[in-house]
Amino acid sequence: MAVARPPPSPPRIEVRPATRSPRLNLLRTGRRTDDQRSWWGLLYLLPALGLVLPFKFVPLVSGFVDSLWHLVDVGGAGQFVGFGNYARMVGDPEVVAAFANVGRVVLTLPVWVVSPLLVAFLIHQRTPGWRLFRAVYFLPYMIAPVIVGSIFREILGTSGPLNILLRSVGLGWFAQAWLGGINTALLAVVGVSLWSFFGLGVITYLAGLASLDESVLEAAALDGAGFWRTLLSIVLPMLRPVVSYWAVLCLGGMFIWMFPLLFSLTQGGPGYATMLPEYLVYLTAFQFNDRGYATAIGIVLFAVVSLASFWIVREMYASSVARERA
Amino acid sequence: MTRHKHLLVFAVASVVAISAAGAVSSASAADSGTHTPVTITVFNWGQGGDQYWADANKAFEAKYPWITVKAESVPFEQYLQQEGAYINSKSGPDVMANNVGLELFERKTAYLPINDRLTPDITGQLTTYKWGCENFDTTQPCYGLPQSFQGNVMYYNVKVLQAAGLDPQNPPATWDAFNAACDKIKATGKACIAMGTGSTVAYWDYPEIARNYLDEQGIVDQFKGKIPWTDPRMVNILKRLAEMADKGWFQDSASTIPMLPDGGDVFTSGNAGFIASIVSDVFNWKQWGDAIGNDNLGVMPWPVIDANAPLAHKFSGVEGFVHGVTSWSQHPDEAFLYVAWLAGADNANLFLQEAGGQPINKAFNASLITNSPSFTKIQTLIKDPTLHAGVLLSGKEADALSRGYQQIMLKQITVDQWVQQMQAALVASPEKKP
Amino acid sequence: MTVFTGTQLQSLGRLGRSWSVTAVLLVGASIATYPLIYTVMAAFKTRSEFASNRLGLPLHPTLANFGQAFERLDISRLLLNSFVASIGGVVVTLVASLLAAYAIIKLRVPLRRFAFFLIVGSLLVPFQSIMYPLYDTMLAMGLIGQRIGLILAFGAFGLPFSTFLLAAYLGGIPDELLEAARLDGANSFNILVRIILPLSIPAIASLTILNFVWMWNDLLLPLLVMGGGDGKTLMVGVANFRGQYDVNIPLISAGISVAIVPAVIVYLLGQRQLIKGVVTGAVR
Repeated sequence: MAVARPPPSPPRIEVRPATRSPRLNLLRTGRRTDDQRSWWGLLYLLPALGLVLPFKFVPLVSGFVDSLWHLVDVGGAGQFVGFGNYARMVGDPEVVAAFANVGRVVLTLPVWVVSPLLVAFLIHQRTPGWRLFRAVYFLPYMIAPVIVGSIFREILGTSGPLNILLRSVGLGWFAQAWLGGINTALLAVVGVSLWSFFGLGVITYLAGLASLDESVLEAAALDGAGFWRTLLSIVLPMLRPVVSYWAVLCLGGMFIWMFPLLFSLTQGGPGYATMLPEYLVYLTAFQFNDRGYATAIGIVLFAVVSLASFWIVREMYASSVARERA
Repeated sequence: MTRHKHLLVFAVASVVAISAAGAVSSASAADSGTHTPVTITVFNWGQGGDQYWADANKAFEAKYPWITVKAESVPFEQYLQQEGAYINSKSGPDVMANNVGLELFERKTAYLPINDRLTPDITGQLTTYKWGCENFDTTQPCYGLPQSFQGNVMYYNVKVLQAAGLDPQNPPATWDAFNAACDKIKATGKACIAMGTGSTVAYWDYPEIARNYLDEQGIVDQFKGKIPWTDPRMVNILKRLAEMADKGWFQDSASTIPMLPDGGDVFTSGNAGFIASIVSDVFNWKQWGDAIGNDNLGVMPWPVIDANAPLAHKFSGVEGFVHGVTSWSQHPDEAFLYVAWLAGADNANLFLQEAGGQPINKAFNASLITNSPSFTKIQTLIKDPTLHAGVLLSGKEADALSRGYQQIMLKQITVDQWVQQMQAALVASPEKKP
Repeated sequence: MTVFTGTQLQSLGRLGRSWSVTAVLLVGASIATYPLIYTVMAAFKTRSEFASNRLGLPLHPTLANFGQAFERLDISRLLLNSFVASIGGVVVTLVASLLAAYAIIKLRVPLRRFAFFLIVGSLLVPFQSIMYPLYDTMLAMGLIGQRIGLILAFGAFGLPFSTFLLAAYLGGIPDELLEAARLDGANSFNILVRIILPLSIPAIASLTILNFVWMWNDLLLPLLVMGGGDGKTLMVGVANFRGQYDVNIPLISAGISVAIVPAVIVYLLGQRQLIKGVVTGAVR
């Protein structure tokens, strides 16, 4: 079979960013505009900053201040403990368990990143019914997470549809209490979240694919490139920004958007098998009435997820910049 | 010229309107005495149903025409979280509710002590109101008034018991008899007790076992954090709870379904003989009776483990929930009128009939309910109440209890490990530093 | 969307037969849709039928659950509350993020990197940790219990995602277009309105759908800002069904089925615009 080599020069120029594919070009040193004009441009930032600062950052700072206190009685004054809450976290088995769990969840990130791309690429082939598929794959995302949790609690029950299906195809030995098993519970929670967010990934990738230069794909096809080679060697590199954005979004989701699902699926159980830091923050604040401590856990969560995202973005851009220069 | 004419018309119209409004409002003020109209916001979790609260608020407004009630309710799942936002910001509703016990005491800064507003004719009507007061002492600050009396019983499905060869008129009264009965029920293919996971184990099941091992002083000591979970009495309580799971008294799915609502479903679909739940306004005789038939529903106290224990034959009873006046309310007088009305005789029968509640006001008329033998029997069961051990658990203890119990049901931990988890929870409970 | 000629279809054939593609997609699609189908079917069953026949088609379909849901939900008010909040939130997010993305990507304002990371990074702030401080801040601004408060909160929370997407999209618009317009004497605002805006329609359409969906479905923000009284949104109302007072899964399912319809409608409306936009964008 003919080896698909990178197409000759002319298409390559078209592939370069700045013209067709949407790219984040912040890291490029581009043209400089007049300084005079630029300072006026700051006005355009006012609405966005006017929203983000009071609604996100002011509360975050205020939360950080709260985390320096031992706040127990609801509405009570509390005592100042400095970084005592943070020190307490280190030895607390529940906090450790929660972060260990989120670490395990993060290990599944590759599945989250690649599988929607696969489906998006399939839909992108425009085979019959592609519009219907695009709508259908997006449907789960439109169901509110708390409701998704209720629905799947039904489905994953010991005599729920999943187990019935398994038994009916002879896989009865595999049927179990998915939400009750120490190992399967976390997997089940990840599976349900993936099901819920999958459609968003498909749409994101489809948008990215739609802005690709079709001629490159056609050239590759004419060169005899197979499905997988096209996907992995040509499409994936061209979609780098979209992939990295989706990766960061998934990472954020794993750290901070699992709450409604956890609330309706397992409440962190059995034991602490599906306890994630986000849910632990909720429990600590509202069930255990330890608000200062809860906020401290939340701040640490924010720090961890920011660092992780920053690292991912840097990795993806470092390698892409290196490729460009090569 | 036209503009001036318009202005003139506008001015005249305004004067007419304002005087008309003035006449109307002074007329209504005359109707209600010299009260200015006030609106109070009431926040609770809609206990007993939206229809009941709509009617209760209407009845209240009819009695106090100058007060308008704005009702706000969210499901209990979100209630404490939402309430916390109000408490933290010291703003929001005029009246709020909380369950008695530690839940209320942790939030006492939210409530205005009402001792100086209580009169004998308010308090004399109530069976008790001490649970809403510090240290259960009515001479200390009281934060709210109750309208319901709450406690734990076991309901049963008469037909299921009959099919198992048991006598519904004489349900098992001791632990061993209950075990034997369970075997018979299981032989017919039904589960013995309908069960599920969640914090209900701390409030509905734990107190009933605890009564056999702790006396009243013991319960108070546990509340104050003086008894570790490694104490033999506490270990025995946990062992008995575990025994219920180990002996297969629950249906298979118990470890993975929540008690609310799925556990209840198991009972209402006729797949279990018993369900352990409560007396007032939810998961009670009214709800079960509606589902399986009032004549098909039986009720009994929990089976006794140690007949010699001082509290063995008593009833873990407690005020259900209290409503109180918030400490930031701009209308404390009207808010208190509302709180007192809820505790009063007018509300008692309404609460009974519409919400299936168990009123704590002595003036309620039990014979209003004619079709539920269970309700009638409950009136005798609740006569001898004692302290309710469940509401005296800290948030962390309640969480550890239910979490651990799920793992016991799943056979993932031993009782010893559960004891360790409970002890760790007690030590970490901010409210129980002895 | 590119229109395929016969030759191109042939080359597609080399990427895999279209039927195998369809087959794979079909398997995934059934996994995607089954849970919702299960719920909608439950909505048409009575409680007793649901207890005995969980999985199958409703044998005696009934509309009683929907009737009860409508009755208990005061649906017209809740729908209005949700619509106003969601549409308002979408508008606020789109305006703020378009302006911000324009400033960062095209105007290249000073401190653009800082602003970008600040805005996009705010995505990662965990809600549970800032819930009460946010409530206090909004209370101080007089926004609690006000529709505008929820709209602004939605706007702020949708901002990071929208700004990133628009920034990426604007990056693909050639600077030459803007230069040409500038040489013709257009100022930055004119360029925004006459050139950037029309070109951004596909991105805006996508963001409208995506933002509307999460705002429509959200429970935490509307509960915090509007509470459980008259101002509550539809999702909060449906969540009330799940309260411990209902063991009635068919009723809850009916509520769910009703609540999801508007999101589906918005998607269907928006996706046509999306197709048009993609056509325009690709031919460019």
